[in-house]
Amino acid sequence: MSAVSGAVESGRGAVYDRGYRPYEGPRGRRGAATYALYKASMRRALGLRRTWRQKVAPFVLLGVVTIPAIVNIGIGYVTRDRLQDSFEIITYREYVGVSSALLLFVALVAPDVMCPDRRQRVLPLMFARPLIGFDYVAAKVGAIATILFAFSFLPQVMLFIGNMLISDSALDYFTGHTDVLWKVPVAVLILALYYAVIGCAIASLTDRRIVAGAAVIGLLLLTSIAAGVIIGDRSSINEGSMAALISVLAVPLYLRDLVFLGHIEARSPLAGVERGGLAAAATYVVVLLAGLVVLWRRYRWVER
Amino acid sequence: MNVGPLLRITNLTKRYPGVTALDDLTLDVPRGRTGLVGANGAGKSTMFRLLLGLAQPTQGRVEVCGIDVAQDPIEVRSRLGYMPEHDCLPLDQTAADVVSTFGELSGLPPRAARQRASDILDLVGLDEARFRPIGGFSTGMRQRTKLAQALVGDPELILLDEPTAGLDPMGREEMLALVSRLGSFGISVLMATHLLDDVQQVCDHVVMIDAGKLVVSGGTDSLLERTGIVTVDVGRHGEELVAALARVGVVAVAADAVVEVTINTDNTDNTDNTDQANHVVPEMDLVRDVIADLGLPLFRLSTRLTSLDEVFLRRSAVPT
Repeated sequence: MSAVSGAVESGRGAVYDRGYRPYEGPRGRRGAATYALYKASMRRALGLRRTWRQKVAPFVLLGVVTIPAIVNIGIGYVTRDRLQDSFEIITYREYVGVSSALLLFVALVAPDVMCPDRRQRVLPLMFARPLIGFDYVAAKVGAIATILFAFSFLPQVMLFIGNMLISDSALDYFTGHTDVLWKVPVAVLILALYYAVIGCAIASLTDRRIVAGAAVIGLLLLTSIAAGVIIGDRSSINEGSMAALISVLAVPLYLRDLVFLGHIEARSPLAGVERGGLAAAATYVVVLLAGLVVLWRRYRWVER
Repeated sequence: MNVGPLLRITNLTKRYPGVTALDDLTLDVPRGRTGLVGANGAGKSTMFRLLLGLAQPTQGRVEVCGIDVAQDPIEVRSRLGYMPEHDCLPLDQTAADVVSTFGELSGLPPRAARQRASDILDLVGLDEARFRPIGGFSTGMRQRTKLAQALVGDPELILLDEPTAGLDPMGREEMLALVSRLGSFGISVLMATHLLDDVQQVCDHVVMIDAGKLVVSGGTDSLLERTGIVTVDVGRHGEELVAALARVGVVAVAADAVVEVTINTDNTDNTDNTDQANHVVPEMDLVRDVIADLGLPLFRLSTRLTSLDEVFLRRSAVPT
């Protein structure tokens, strides 16, 4: 860098010229740009390098989703000598997607990560870089899915380790629950990817965060209510209906059941429906593809 | 190093439904600072979109730094910096974060991007403001931030879309000073503007387009010399000189305390003006000789440079 060569007095301060140094180091292409956008989106979603207000939502969520694990471990510890069987408020299967805080988080964060780029017209700057629409969508969906995965998976890890420690034999507990080690991450991944795609797809349709957030919650709740109304009150087991699949919210939970149980859980609104599991998987794929098509069309940046 | 033209545009046409944004444009743009001049809607922004590979031409070919944009738009974009005209910055982030992130998006490693962001913000005069949210910046500071994000990836070519838009006179001068220095950093500039004064001040090459058609392309100096008028200052002897020049067949008029001598050069349809000086020198010699014969004091003898506005208005009436 050249030495200071002078200052330009502007009346509002002085601009000191310290010269310009060309960059001659390594330079990445699409992969590097996508990863950079992924990291920036993660930072934004978690409120890092932003004001404390932006940090409240993600970390309150983390606290909320961790409560069942803490309560489960705490009561299990207190009652460890009094109960014959190990105490269990919540199972690993039930813990996947148990908290509506995750939905609130998606409704809050997906618009925050997507909408400002459009509203503040940052997209032309992004696409003037070695980046294409696919990379942009991958980075944004990936960032939200990663956080959802982490916030769903970490409490499960906490629960697993806690249960292991309060059990009579940690090793026995571990060897007796090895299936959980793959079932939990798979089920959580299914859930995280699904909510991330839906959140991003809806957020891509508007540049107003509040509209996008309301639309995410509205879609999930309204379809859930609609499914409930159609199915009605069925207290018996295995008396479900295909109409349960109308609930966009519940679709990944049926897949969760398939992962953990190999079939739809008996008290589920889809229980007893012939090929209900297959229908749930197909619905999941259709919703996911629909979301990705919306995203692809919205960020197909090169005009023909 | 690539010694070919920076931009090579061949038979470039871009049509949208109901409108032709660019119409069979063919030109080469050399390295250095080039002004892309045209009225609103002339096709400047479309040209930028085509250069960035964000739009596909209806027909024709665009090469940037020797690379066909249609073949490898990603490689082209990794060599370009782009400063849009409109607001385009995330307002709730600091300048340092924004510029650093765009450095990484340009392919720089995170550490290098942070270091360069710091250097570049210093260069554009935002050193002390770099940790403030952009939402609190003035228009001038936002323009500087936009320039910084375009520079942080160390581009070969930087596309500036109306870089002085919305700036006060002082801010405008500072921005133009920054732009004019980019050439010394080895960065070529393509500056789209409708402010011809800006181009005249910082660019050494001009491309004028009007309604999607090429009006003229050439060196700024050569375009400016096309007035065919030599300005002579002989103090209060103007009328005497006008009469003497008339006697040797040279048309001249006294105006505003100087004499304006019309030089007989054909300059209506020649876009390559590299030999302009060869046309002018003999005429100027003649004027000089007449003044010497009359024994008049000579305070100034120079070609009168027309403004680019005049060139644009004159040329756009007769497109090439």
